[in-house]
Amino acid sequence: MKGKIIVITSGKGGVGKTTATASIGSALALEGNRVLLVDMDIGLRNLDVVMGLENRIVFNIVDIVKGKCKIGQAAIKDRRIDNLFLVPASQSDNKDAITPEEMIRLCEELREEFDFILMDCPAGIEQGFENAVVAADEAVVICAPEVSSIRDADRIIGILFSKSITPKLVVNRIVPEMVERGDMLSHEDVVDVLSIDLIGLVEMDDQVVVSTNMGTPTVLQKNSKAGDAFRRIAMRLNGNEDLPIVVPQVPNRFWKKLGLKIGLGK
Amino acid sequence: MNMTDRNKSPIKLKGVGNSLWVTFDPTQPVDFLQEELTKLFKRMKHLVVNARIVLDPGEQEGCDDVVKKLRVFLKDTFDVGAVSKPPVKRAVKEERIRQRDIGSSWHNSASEVLMLTGRVRSGQKITTKKHVLILGDVNPGGEIVAGGDIVVMGSLCGTVSAGQPDNEDSIVLSLDFRPTQVQIGGFLAAGIPSSRGKTVEFASVEDNAIVVKDYLKANPFGRLPQPLVR
Ligand SMILES: Nc1ncnc2c1ncn2[C@@H]1O[C@H](COP(=O)(O)OP(=O)(O)O)[C@@H](O)[C@H]1O
Ligand SMILES: [Mg+2]
Repeated sequence: MKGKIIVITSGKGGVGKTTATASIGSALALEGNRVLLVDMDIGLRNLDVVMGLENRIVFNIVDIVKGKCKIGQAAIKDRRIDNLFLVPASQSDNKDAITPEEMIRLCEELREEFDFILMDCPAGIEQGFENAVVAADEAVVICAPEVSSIRDADRIIGILFSKSITPKLVVNRIVPEMVERGDMLSHEDVVDVLSIDLIGLVEMDDQVVVSTNMGTPTVLQKNSKAGDAFRRIAMRLNGNEDLPIVVPQVPNRFWKKLGLKIGLGK
Repeated sequence: MNMTDRNKSPIKLKGVGNSLWVTFDPTQPVDFLQEELTKLFKRMKHLVVNARIVLDPGEQEGCDDVVKKLRVFLKDTFDVGAVSKPPVKRAVKEERIRQRDIGSSWHNSASEVLMLTGRVRSGQKITTKKHVLILGDVNPGGEIVAGGDIVVMGSLCGTVSAGQPDNEDSIVLSLDFRPTQVQIGGFLAAGIPSSRGKTVEFASVEDNAIVVKDYLKANPFGRLPQPLVR
């Protein structure tokens, strides 16, 4: 069976594309799939840093496309998770170092070797975005509950539809306390405007920053709310579509107080 | 009509549009009519020079020769402009047929409406010379430009320009009216207060400004005598 190419995109930068690519990819590999992560943010690579694989880079995606090396030579194997590979972006090239035709040819090859190929898309809608989506079978749009993020995600969704790709939605960086106070848009507000299938809600979680800095995927962390959410998103992408969506909640105050009284909790 | 009622003037004058409408009693002798006309026209002096005159003999028929004589008289004496008989009124029966035709004109009207389903997303723009009807929503950042009306059966949050370039009779209507910006013809409005879907609202131009009203309360087309093609 041929592998699936899923592009992770958002329009706006800094909403969690790279975090999501690393986390979802790791979770898919943990479920036993052969997974390749491709950093398409040419010129601004950082998926390798988030994955903690920076010091093992020899070749990059531009090298593969230009015939300088084989896919197997450029793909870095993760030591912690079996069947997880990363093709890094080139740091020194421009976003137009690769043409869409070259991307389509490369993706044909990748489909033969992996079950899932996740493309970490650059911000914007220029050439880098075009390259990332040109051969994609599916798309996951990451959106933060902010007006500007929604506006950009909406634009991206329109473009994806025009390329006959039906995107799925992840709302990231939700702060339940702020939503409850009315200081942050709820995920319902986001879905109202974007109106595409929701496949996950991810809370704002300090663990993400910790694992990003340590270079360990969030899904390997214990007690990470974001990690749990990304793991469930991976399950949904892996065919478990009926898995219910968990809405981030404000921690129960009663238990918190009680826990404090009897000396539990942090 | 009394032939000898000489106290009552057999002539009435009024201004209609850009012409002088002269109603007269054609049963009176021509010289008497001329006398009376002279009285009136002399008083108006230069105002009648080159004026367009309509000679209306009322309900009477077959008085073409009287009209002809009076026309020559007015032209010679007062230097008036064109003199004509009133435009032929349609017979009642004919008028009824005409009304019926208007009433059912939509039968054979070629569509003047672009009807779309779906969602207009940020960065997408719909441009048409016609009216546009959207069964769906217009997201923030979406844009619609129409030659006529814009009707959104859903939420309108984007930017809309109706009646482009210069039809200020156009309206913008939405079930949930909270646009970023509305333009109608050459008038522009932003920061429009919204009922947020509690009522169906529409924007139109009134007294050189865009106003937003409750559509069902204002009912702007409810008083039309019959359904008309817009
Ligand atoms: N759920 C989250 N909780 C806390 N921080 C997050 C979360 N998602 C992303 N971040 C942080 O936000 C920043 C931007 O994320 P990143 O994945 O690099 O975004 P992008 O690739 O879209 O530019 C990073 O510092 C990341 O650690
Ligand atoms: Mg990134």
